[in-house]
Amino acid sequence: MISELIINAFLVTVMLAIGIALLRTRTLIFTVVLTSAYSLVAALMFITLDAVDVAFTEASVGAGISTILFLAAMAYLPKEEEENINSQILPVFTCILLGGILIWCSYDLPEIGLLSSPVHQHIVPDYILGSRDDIGIPNIVTSVLASYRGYDTFGETIVVFTAGVAVLVLLKNNTQTSKQKNKNSKRKVG
Amino acid sequence: MFLAALIACAISGILILIRIILGRTTFDRVLAVNSLGTIIVIGIALHGFYTNRPEFLDIAIVYALINFIGTVAVLKLFSTGSLGEQRK
Amino acid sequence: MDLFIDVITGLCFFVGSLSIIIGACGLIKLPDVFSRIHAAGMIDTGGTAFFLLGMILQTGWSLITVKLILIGVFVFFTSPVTSHVTANLARQKNLMPVGKKIGKLL
Repeated sequence: MISELIINAFLVTVMLAIGIALLRTRTLIFTVVLTSAYSLVAALMFITLDAVDVAFTEASVGAGISTILFLAAMAYLPKEEEENINSQILPVFTCILLGGILIWCSYDLPEIGLLSSPVHQHIVPDYILGSRDDIGIPNIVTSVLASYRGYDTFGETIVVFTAGVAVLVLLKNNTQTSKQKNKNSKRKVG
Repeated sequence: MFLAALIACAISGILILIRIILGRTTFDRVLAVNSLGTIIVIGIALHGFYTNRPEFLDIAIVYALINFIGTVAVLKLFSTGSLGEQRK
Repeated sequence: MDLFIDVITGLCFFVGSLSIIIGACGLIKLPDVFSRIHAAGMIDTGGTAFFLLGMILQTGWSLITVKLILIGVFVFFTSPVTSHVTANLARQKNLMPVGKKIGKLL
């Protein structure tokens, strides 16, 4: 148990360090690289929490696809972030207030894995008991996603597909104009 | 034994993180992030063995590939300025 | 026999830990990109090889062994490509190794 605690503390420290470095950087490509490193460590965090499928998704989507999507979007942007001259007191105040409220609310949450918490009372026992006989798939997560909540998953897939098509259409229209615009721009080592 | 190896991974991970934060050019940072990915692949495998559940190795395999793709994508964008089409 | 395998595994882990820590120190200490590639290569080859060898010795023959060998193959094929691309690109962007004058190399 104590080794689990040490591993978690180490991972949180590393994620905090990456987050602070992310705040201080002004180069876009470095920001993307750091975000990828952050996703790497977050996947390790999910592994120590025993969530294999979430870790799988975080590794492939967070570290792989989203990095490449950010890079593809970066090709249309200037290299350096402009200096912000507006006052930043209000955003900082809002963030601290929201974070404080969330932490305060988290004390009322039930313990992780507690059997009498409301999540485990309503319909989950039916799913767990009937999963093997109703559907015949050994993995409960798969049977809930694909069969019990099949319409939800179907809707999500449609939404994601529509978003992908929309992004493709937008990028295709922008390609020609930005190609002419960037023809003479010089790039420097950052 | 596995715990000692995990601790060694953690120490070298911290050292590489210092290089990522300090790194002067983008190449240093990309190289260091690639090394951090390799360390994390080893760490996932070792953690699986330490907790007696080596099925986590699937994630390590995915990781080793994703790490390579990410690094090459960053370097390609840095060299040509775009990912897909060739610009003249 | 179990004790023998454990001792060999411990030795493998020791050498692997040594190489990744030396590689990480090299990444910090060495002066420029071209020499840091050596340190990164040390992590990718020495560290990964010895750790995977130790874990293969611990499992014996099963599906896990195949997965470990697959990881080894992937890392061994992708690491030289990354190093080569990095060095090539750094050279294209007119970075010079420490101690060389501009125009001497190539």
